[in-house]
Formats: sequence, C-alpha cells, structure tokens
Amino acid sequence: MKKKHRKELLKVENLKTHFMIEEQKAKAVDGLDFNVFEGEFFGIVGESGSGKSVTALSILRLIPDPPGKISEGKIFFRDRNLLGLSWEDMRKIRGNEISMIFQEPMTSLNPVFTIGVQIMEPLMIHRNMDKKEAREESIQMLKKVGIPSPEMRVDDYPHQFSGGMRQRAMIAIALSCNPSLLIADEPTTALDVTVQAQILELMTEIKNKRKDSAIILITHDLAVIAETCDRVMVMYCGKIQEIAGTINLFENPLHPYTKGLMDSIPTLTKKKKRLNTIPGNVPGILNFPPGCPFHPRCKHKMPVCEKVVPTLLEVEEKHLVRCHLYNKEGKN
Amino acid sequence: MIIGAAYFLSFFAELGINDKALLVNFDGKKFVTLYNDVSFKKYIFAKAIKTKEIYFEYKTLLSGDTLNLHDEKLISLKAEYKLYDRIKKDFDNHRVLRNIFEEQKRGDWIILAPYPYGPNENLLDELGDRNPPTGPDRKNFLGTDDRGRDVFARLIYGFRIYMTFALLLTLASYAIGILFGAALGYYGGKVDFLGLRFIEIWASIPFLFTVMVISSIMIPNFTLLIVILSLFYWISMARYIRAEFLREKSNDYVQAAIAVGVSDRRIILSHILPNSLTPVISFLPFTVISGIAILASLDFLGFGLPEPTPSWGQLLSQGVSNLSSWWLTFSPMAAMFITLMLIAFIGEAVREALDPKVYSRMR
Repeated sequence: MKKKHRKELLKVENLKTHFMIEEQKAKAVDGLDFNVFEGEFFGIVGESGSGKSVTALSILRLIPDPPGKISEGKIFFRDRNLLGLSWEDMRKIRGNEISMIFQEPMTSLNPVFTIGVQIMEPLMIHRNMDKKEAREESIQMLKKVGIPSPEMRVDDYPHQFSGGMRQRAMIAIALSCNPSLLIADEPTTALDVTVQAQILELMTEIKNKRKDSAIILITHDLAVIAETCDRVMVMYCGKIQEIAGTINLFENPLHPYTKGLMDSIPTLTKKKKRLNTIPGNVPGILNFPPGCPFHPRCKHKMPVCEKVVPTLLEVEEKHLVRCHLYNKEGKN
Repeated sequence: MIIGAAYFLSFFAELGINDKALLVNFDGKKFVTLYNDVSFKKYIFAKAIKTKEIYFEYKTLLSGDTLNLHDEKLISLKAEYKLYDRIKKDFDNHRVLRNIFEEQKRGDWIILAPYPYGPNENLLDELGDRNPPTGPDRKNFLGTDDRGRDVFARLIYGFRIYMTFALLLTLASYAIGILFGAALGYYGGKVDFLGLRFIEIWASIPFLFTVMVISSIMIPNFTLLIVILSLFYWISMARYIRAEFLREKSNDYVQAAIAVGVSDRRIILSHILPNSLTPVISFLPFTVISGIAILASLDFLGFGLPEPTPSWGQLLSQGVSNLSSWWLTFSPMAAMFITLMLIAFIGEAVREALDPKVYSRMR
C-alpha cells in the first residue's frame, strides 16, 4: 500500500476536551487517537454534537477557555506538540501551517473589511509581504478559487458576495499562506448543492496539487465523504467509533452506528419504501450513557454494552472499530 | 451643520471681534497688529523718544538766542512730539488710536475688527460715568458685565472654549472608555470581573464633589480640568463597549481571525472595534452636550476655568448676583440653549441616519 510510506503530518493522542457546564464536566471530546498522513484527505463524520467541530478547534487550540479546556492529550504536528507551544508560537502556526475553513461563510468574514484586506491579512502577518504584494497575491488567490474578475471583486465587501463566493473567499484566506494542513469544518453545510460540488471539487484540486499537505474535512454528510475522502473517522459522543479507508468503510461498515448512518442515505440502485433512521437522538452531553454510548439506540445491544466501554480494535487491516460485537470478550 | 460652521468660524473670532486692529497704516508704514503688535509698539516708542529728542535739541539750540516760542519749526516739532507721545500712551487701545488718527488727518488709518471689543478688555474708561454692568446699547450688543467687559465678545470666545473643551473631553474619555471596555469585553473572565468591580467602585465616587475638591486644591486650568473630568466620564462608554465586545467576540469572524493568526491587539482594534462603534456614534453628541453643561456648572460654581477666561458659567453666576441686569443671565442661557439644541439635532440626525427602520418614527 502506498499509505505505508507516507509521513505522519498530524498525530492526535488521547485528546480530551471538556467543557464546564454549570459545574458539570461535559466531555465533548473524550480520548481521541488518530493520525493524518501527508497527502491525505481525511474525513470526520458524525451527527451533530458528536465532537467533530470541537476536535477541529482543539487542534488549533481555539477552544474558548473558560468554559472549555483541553484537559489531556497530545497533538503532534510534524513532531511538535501543539498543546505545549506558547500562545505566540501557536499564533505563528495558525493560518500559516494549519488553517481552518469555518462552517458559516456568512458570519466568518468581518463585515467591515473588504475581501481583499481579509485575504491580505495572513499574508502580511506570516509572509511579511507589503501591501502591494499581498494585494497581488490575494487577487491570485481569488482567481485560484474561481471568483470571476478578481481584480474588481477584491475591493468588494463581504455583503456584496453570494454565499458560495464567500465560502470561496474563506477558502482563499485559509489557503493564502499555503498551509500544510487545512481543516474544513463543514465547509459545504451552508451552501446549496451545486455550489457544494464546486467547493468540494476545488478542495480536491488543491489537495492534488500539494503532495505533502493534508485536508481534514468535517461533515455530517456521508455523500460528501464518499466523494472526496481517502480515510474516514466516524465519531459519536466524543469518541471514535470506526476508522477505515473510505471504500472499505462504505462497502463493509462494521459499527452498528455506521451501518445506521449508511442505511439512512437514499440509494439509486435499490428500491426502498422508506429510509431507515437510527432511532432516538444523540444523548445529552452531560449524561452520556454508561458503557457503549450508542447502546440505547443500537439494534445489536448486548448486556455487556450497558456496562463496559468497548475498546477500539483493529478488526481488519486499517479498519478500527469500537464495538463489543467484534470483541471476543463481548461475545462471551 | 450650523454648529460645525459656527465652531469653525469661532477659530477666526479674532478677525471679527477684537479690541486690536487688524491693520494699522501709520507714517506710510503698515503694521499687522492682529496677533502681534510688537513691531508697531517698537516703532511708536522709538519714534516718540526720537521726536522728543529732536524737539528738545532744537529748543536748546534756539534758547541760545532769544527763545522765540512762535518759531514755526519749533511749533511743528512740538506738535509731532506731542502726537507721538499721545499715541504711545494709547498704542494698545486701537479705538482711541482711530480717533486720534481721524483728528490728525495725516493720512494714517486703521482697520478695526467689525466688532471692536475684546473678551478680556476693560471698558471702564469708555463707559464714562455709567457703572458696569451696563445694558445693551449700540456699541455693546449685549451690554457689559460687572467688570465692564463686553458680554457679546465673551460669549463668542466662550463658545470656542466650551466647544473645544467638550470635544476634547469627549475624545479623551472615549479613548479611555473604549480601551478599557474593549479589554474587559475581549479578555473576559477574571479581567472582566476585576475590571467591572473597579468600574463600580470608581463610579460610586461622587464625581462633582471630587472635581470641586480637586479644583479647590489646585488651580484648575484647561488641561487639568479635561484630565480630571475624563477620569470620570469614561465609565459609561466602557460599559457599552464592553457589552458590544462581549457580543461581537462570539461571532465567527473573530474566531476566523484568530485561526488566521492575527494578534490580540489587532483583533481588538481593527476587527472588533469597527463593528462595535454603534454606541460611540450614537452617544457622541450627547457626551459633547454634557461636557458643555458640566463645564458651565463648574464655572458657575466657581470651580471651573480660572479668571479671566471668557466663560458662560461665570457670566451666569454674575447674572445671579446682579439679578436686575437681565442680559447677564439671558445671553449665556440663550447661547447655551442654542448650542446644546444644535448638537442634540446632530445626535438625532445621526440616530435617524443609522436607523434601519426608516418609518419607525412616523407610526
């Protein structure tokens, strides 16, 4: 496999991010271990409230503190522990080596600055460009993300841009310093389907251009994952439930939760009366059920599920699952 | 608009309202005496001494013979020396000077300001046997105050001082308030908690009394008063800005800016601040108003700007002690009323311009 030769770009070890909500600890992210290789398009998928966005914010240390806190774990980016860095060093990494695309293109741009100024900002901070160079560069960036007549649009204000164009502008900002790692937190959620496809295409293009960089795509849309990602991590209640290559995961989902997600996608080939849904809701963050957090909604619930938290096991090669079904102890 | 134009014009008040002449033509020489009449003074003094010398020299020369007091040259020299002596005596009272020039008909002329009375000039000589305060007449539109100074001139110069004072006070207190509020709102947490407690303690100091105590210890001047007052004036703005920052910082674009690696200072000053200036813009005119009002009341109480600064509050307090001289009370009141109303109109216009619901007030 090609992947074996790839270098690790990001390695997350036992990451725990907690929020204090009215004196109670909410474990938004609870013991996360994963890594992202260079040249990889890594997907994180899960329902709302499963800790996807918190994971992304934790990597950039953008968790609002208080109430949030990264209480444990290590995040290695190119062998440097991001959690051990000073605020000033972290600032140099943000936007420069790791950058982020936010979910809401409508509110993520500052309404009082022109698009150009906002793209110029990271360039001037990290690349020490002067105004003129940065302006040239930002026009280039806008051209790259496919905004027509960028020379004119660069002086427009965000409200003069449509949603899709704003998201492109956001991507232009995120890409302006050529980051090694791009975290896209639901970049297409707020957009309509045609624009979605364009944005995803753009991101794939970007990834293909640079072999040593990686993209983490966070979404709740499995179709988006299937279209773009190389490897997928399924999250539920702040824990990894399954990690696998995209093809592997879609052909052979192991975790009941993943299966449930798959079943709730409409397919063209099979004729079904009704889409399956996963019964119930994501449990409240303050009272995760004991044992496997998915057990109240699981079809394959066993007695052990209510008591013991399953461990993440490598069931097949490069396919990890956290479920008692695949645990020898669980079967007993 | 009107207030802006009036304030702008007040900077050129010296041109219109002044006891000093704008231009003096004397002995065929021109002197710009508006701001600096030293050259004119020098010339006059030198000339006065010289003509005196010449006159006495000639007199002693003549006294060798029989002193002919009707010698024509002697008489003309004496007249010249007397003239310069008279001008020397009154060189800084240009109205008297004008009269002298007209009397002499030597081709000298003087351009006086259209309203030739200064704010600090004592008109006792011209009032003759009338006792100040004198009522309005054709020479002094609004009469004179209890020290014989022209009320109209004092009002205009007072306007300039009051406007400048209020604007600077607003500027200073907003600068403090915005920075303080921004820091509280942006950093939140402990900074916010401690800062707010400090504001609460600070706000509970009785402000007027403190200012009065301070200005009775030190002689207050313009700068000192601004400093003292702005120490108390920033509080409300700090509160508003803090609230704005608390709201704005939770917006995505702030997080996006952090994610791009922008420094705290830049985020506060150039990302959040422009988005949270709403209270600043809408309160600005009203702070200027209260700045004028507070200075007037301090002046009224005698704790404001020192004498002889032209001041509305001081005029008012004169009016109170001379109740029968209605122009002393009426004119500063009217001036203040018009000024404050015009500024309040600005505030109202700004509010209306920024109001997204255009017809909200019509319904």
